[in-house]
Amino acid sequence: MAELDDIIHQPLRLKIMAALNALPVASGLEFARLKKLTGATDGNLGAHIETLAKAGYVSVEKAFVGKKPQTTVTATPAGRGAFARHVATLQEIIAGRQG
Amino acid sequence: MIDSKQAAEALADIDDIVQRLRQSQLYELASLAALWWGVLVFAGNFVTWLWPIYAVYAWPAVDILGVGGLVAIRLLTPSQARAAAFDIRLVLVFVLFFAFGYICTSVLGHFGPRELGAFWPIYFMLFYTLAGLWFGHAFIAIGLGITALTLIGFFTIGEAFPLWMAFVNGGGLILGGLWMRRI
Repeated sequence: MAELDDIIHQPLRLKIMAALNALPVASGLEFARLKKLTGATDGNLGAHIETLAKAGYVSVEKAFVGKKPQTTVTATPAGRGAFARHVATLQEIIAGRQG
Repeated sequence: MIDSKQAAEALADIDDIVQRLRQSQLYELASLAALWWGVLVFAGNFVTWLWPIYAVYAWPAVDILGVGGLVAIRLLTPSQARAAAFDIRLVLVFVLFFAFGYICTSVLGHFGPRELGAFWPIYFMLFYTLAGLWFGHAFIAIGLGITALTLIGFFTIGEAFPLWMAFVNGGGLILGGLWMRRI
């Protein structure tokens, strides 16, 4: 029986992973764009990205564009796999095979 | 473990964020296109106002650069990386667009410079507005706004109509493009 992924299941982290997973492989989203998409605050978003990064689900790249710092977050292969399994588990629960 | 209602809510959240991402990618692409066309249309109208005899060269140049720029934007935008390398339908859309416009303005009707200056922006904005019914309210606002200002200028502005159109159509697309980047 598949288990829900506790790291991904948190609502904001689920949104972050859903957005990153919808991108082409190896493409990422800038922090500001993720903030706009999820409606999260800087601090909250940063903390949850860190949790995902510690789990190996996302990679975080910091660079300077001109003089402005830019943080780009990308889903790792492990993160994509975990997200796919999490979604499959949610679908199983709805189908009544779990829960 | 969660129940099926909570699971359905989680999946709905996923669908919602993916939808918002797609919308934001579309606005990103559309804003680049609007900025590019805005600059070109501003230049085309400005040339038409300052040196009307060169308008006959300016507008084909605007159209060719505009369509070429759109193809380049589509190919170079990272979010379009999954798209096919070259989509011939994009070019066909513009071939049909210009062919239909040409039939209306030069075959069925014989439009003068002033009528042409109003027709093409309104015709272009019709597609913008229609696209907005599926792809987002910003397209509708920009399409209807530029159409309304074009008609106001057509009926009220005299010889400075091309200058009016430089700001209304060119400037409107530039402002609209900048606005879409902020949504």
